[in-house]
Amino acid sequence: MIENALSALDALFDPVRLAALFAGMIVGMVFGMLPGLGGVAAVSILLPFVYYLDGYSGLAMLLGAVSVVYTSDTITSVLLGAPGSPASAPTAIEGHALAKQGQAARALGVGFLASMVGGLMGAAILFVAIPVAGPIVLLLSTPELFMFALVGLFFAASMIGKDLAKGLAAACLGILLGVVGPAQAAADFRYTFGQVYLLDGFSLTVVALGLFGVAEVISMLAAGGGISHERMKVAHWGTGFHDFWQSKWLVLRASVIGVFGGFVPAVGASASTWVAYGHSMRSTRDKSRFGHGEIRGIAASEGANNATVISDLVPTLLFSVPGGPAAAVFLGALFSFGYYPGPRMITQNPDLMFLIVWSVALTSVVGAAVCFAITPMLARLTRIPFAIIAAPLVLIMVIGAYQSTSTIGDIFLLFLLGALGWMMKHGGWPRAPALVGFVLSGPMEQYFWLTNQIHGWSWLTRPGVILIGSVIVIPVVVSSVRWLRHRGQPAPSVPDQPETVAQEPSQGVALVLAGVATVMFIYALFEMFTFNPASRLMPALTIVPGLPLVLWLLARGIREYRNDFGRDANELWILLALVIYAVGVWAIGLSIPTIALITWMLLARARMRVWTSLLYGAIVFVVVRLLFELLRGDPPVGAIIPLS
Amino acid sequence: MRKITLSVAAALLAGSAFSAMAQDGYFAGKTIEIVVPFGEGGATFVSAKFLEPYFEKHLPGNPEIDVVSRPGGGSILGANWFEQNAKSDGTTILFTTSSTANPFVLGQEGVEYRLADYRVAYSHPFSAVAYVSPDTGVTSAADIKNASTPLIYGGIAAAASDLPGLLSFEVLDLDVKTVLGFNGRGPVRLAFEQGELNLDYQFTPVYLTQVVPSVAEGRAVPLWTGGAMENGVLKARDPIAPELPSVYEVYEQMNGGAPSGIEWEAFQGVASVTYAYGLTGYMHPDTPQEVLDIFAETVAAINADPEFQAESQEVTNGARLNAGPDTEAAIKAALSPSQEVKDYLRKLLSDKYGVNF
Repeated sequence: MIENALSALDALFDPVRLAALFAGMIVGMVFGMLPGLGGVAAVSILLPFVYYLDGYSGLAMLLGAVSVVYTSDTITSVLLGAPGSPASAPTAIEGHALAKQGQAARALGVGFLASMVGGLMGAAILFVAIPVAGPIVLLLSTPELFMFALVGLFFAASMIGKDLAKGLAAACLGILLGVVGPAQAAADFRYTFGQVYLLDGFSLTVVALGLFGVAEVISMLAAGGGISHERMKVAHWGTGFHDFWQSKWLVLRASVIGVFGGFVPAVGASASTWVAYGHSMRSTRDKSRFGHGEIRGIAASEGANNATVISDLVPTLLFSVPGGPAAAVFLGALFSFGYYPGPRMITQNPDLMFLIVWSVALTSVVGAAVCFAITPMLARLTRIPFAIIAAPLVLIMVIGAYQSTSTIGDIFLLFLLGALGWMMKHGGWPRAPALVGFVLSGPMEQYFWLTNQIHGWSWLTRPGVILIGSVIVIPVVVSSVRWLRHRGQPAPSVPDQPETVAQEPSQGVALVLAGVATVMFIYALFEMFTFNPASRLMPALTIVPGLPLVLWLLARGIREYRNDFGRDANELWILLALVIYAVGVWAIGLSIPTIALITWMLLARARMRVWTSLLYGAIVFVVVRLLFELLRGDPPVGAIIPLS
Repeated sequence: MRKITLSVAAALLAGSAFSAMAQDGYFAGKTIEIVVPFGEGGATFVSAKFLEPYFEKHLPGNPEIDVVSRPGGGSILGANWFEQNAKSDGTTILFTTSSTANPFVLGQEGVEYRLADYRVAYSHPFSAVAYVSPDTGVTSAADIKNASTPLIYGGIAAAASDLPGLLSFEVLDLDVKTVLGFNGRGPVRLAFEQGELNLDYQFTPVYLTQVVPSVAEGRAVPLWTGGAMENGVLKARDPIAPELPSVYEVYEQMNGGAPSGIEWEAFQGVASVTYAYGLTGYMHPDTPQEVLDIFAETVAAINADPEFQAESQEVTNGARLNAGPDTEAAIKAALSPSQEVKDYLRKLLSDKYGVNF
């Protein structure tokens, strides 16, 4: 085994292979930073090039890309507040809040180091995959996977926030978004409104971009030509290293969570990241800083997401079952090079196994180092008006969304969910529980159904189930015992956080949002009765608490209503412009509306001078067109005037 | 093989003006777009990539081949895109499986493509092997009814790629508990290895690389294959696993006569599109016959290419491509079943599996 490891290392240090590995790494870093484009887009764009290389170099190139996406996405999440990839949404929440307080360097430092540890942890797991990980994957049958989803939900409950009703309603809304599309349990297509586009349900990328990314871009555009925010200086890494060392055990635990997330087929990094984030909340005594810039939240999520993408390769290599979307493309590449992963792979191609381990480990370390090196330069970008950055950012998010199905539906959905996310942000609904609900509703329903079909109720006595269940039961018992003992005593006063006063939610937006959510839940209830009984369970689980909650929020909204739309009027116009843009792309194709949008953003919002904006706008437009061509081959064509 | 040295980006900028002068032949200087309506890591995409260099080498004029993945709607979105955008000169090909054919045959909502009108350029078999866990006590195909434990089969969705497997259970009149809702055949196989399921179907490449080792270790018992076409009947043994009987043979062994009736008709129609013509390249309905003849000749050349033979030996146990009028006729017949078969399928799917039409 050691000889194989060394000979694989020797094989990797061939100049062409190293060049391929680092070329892949650079592509992965760029895609990690572009919101909405992540591992899948990076490996897809590399795929055609891979076939010109020899097997080892080609695979090294893909691995280089896969292993750094979740390191570099930290940069976008922290500096801009738009998640660089869906799995870094928690980092965007905590890291951007820290950046606004002038602590970007601290957030980024912890993020990079935690990502590196996560990546190395994943590599170590791959290294021991042969004797250890295989049996563990086989132990995780459907009942255990269901229990994992439950644990995730339990951890997610910590993210509800102070306004209980809004937090729970947001979670229910997320689950409702998650049940759109094919039911797991029976042959029903739920809430598809006869649209083929919805037959597969919503794509995670589009939901994450819509809920988090679009709202951030809107406020960037609203900031206009001036700099309304604190300059982000990234200078002293010292505090970051210190913070990282403080939370080293948390990062390790988060990496282990991430590794298990990777073992489960088809559960992406998003789910395990949220679980790790929830875990960091539960294990932190003073929870008040969560949502306003808690460094432990970043440490946990960045440790988890990197560990997941790499341990996704464990089921891929041992059982030929891709652990996640990027691993699926990697598996395809393995097939193309004539490697057939499976039980025999370890004995047949031990060198390849170790080559993968080394590639992943090397890029995790080098990738983090490169991130440290380039971030000060990138941070300087934040000194130019945000509206100027926002212009290409909007279009990159459109391209990212368009990767899901390459139909106009992706673009509409992006801005529809963007409107929803914007309303949630301004109406005081937390968006984290919504995304968690969306991510977990699929696996929960699927594994509950499969488990009950296969095992009846006997699965409840399985040792694995009891072990995982104890993760939920023990803390609940401990805290209820503590509550019983302290009953009657005055509650300890919770220290307030005066320095991070969040903006008061807009009452007008809150009312509109409650109204929209009420309509959605009533309709969902109505359509639910047309499903097969087995497909009703999950919608019912969210509608039964969700509908009364939103009705109550509606009543509360009416009671507290005051016309404060004026405060957000500026942002509302931008939202409207983006929706008009989507309709424009549908009607007359990509080019004309895009040119119009760029012009409007640069001249009217960023107030650039005509000549500079002309040059800059032309560059943005050319890059956007090129990206469309590179990634898909064809930009959307107009339905009324068939231009592209 | 013509070495393609232009990168994708360079090709976009430079176009293919240069290569047009260098060669002649119908496809000289052209680019053929192969649309795969599934994701990039999927079996269909991998197969398209596997065939790509052979078509580039043997098609007259050595065109560039560009495999594009367009997933969504369980392959309906990609096929609908093809319906709207395909060119009729043979430069756009829809390469897909029965996951696209079944919704068309069943007349599902959202299907805009007219699959039965399309021309068939070529097709690659995609046979499947049924196998069972030794815990059931079953040792061979004929023994299946004597299983000591209830048979549990795992699948994705009744109306999609699981349909031929489920129909084979109907033909053989097996009492199988079907658990649908898995993410893919990979997770199904994992659940089989974990002992949660005990009856499974896997397609050739996966069977050869994943299941055969389990058979050798005594953890799986192979039962039968879907079969291969022989004089228009799906009864021959499948060349990928000639030691195993076809469903047709198993029925004969069990019942002492040839299978017949609506169950068999439905199975044969659906299974031939799924297995015998599993991966099919379709073209626009107005594609000239000349192009189809070119493809038939090219397929013959590919089948005779020793490099292809060696590679396909490894991956599919030597499966060969099909093309020409017989192949097209067989596929078109399977795509247009009698009203009786359609009614049977719709009734079975809605009564037994709760599919709404």
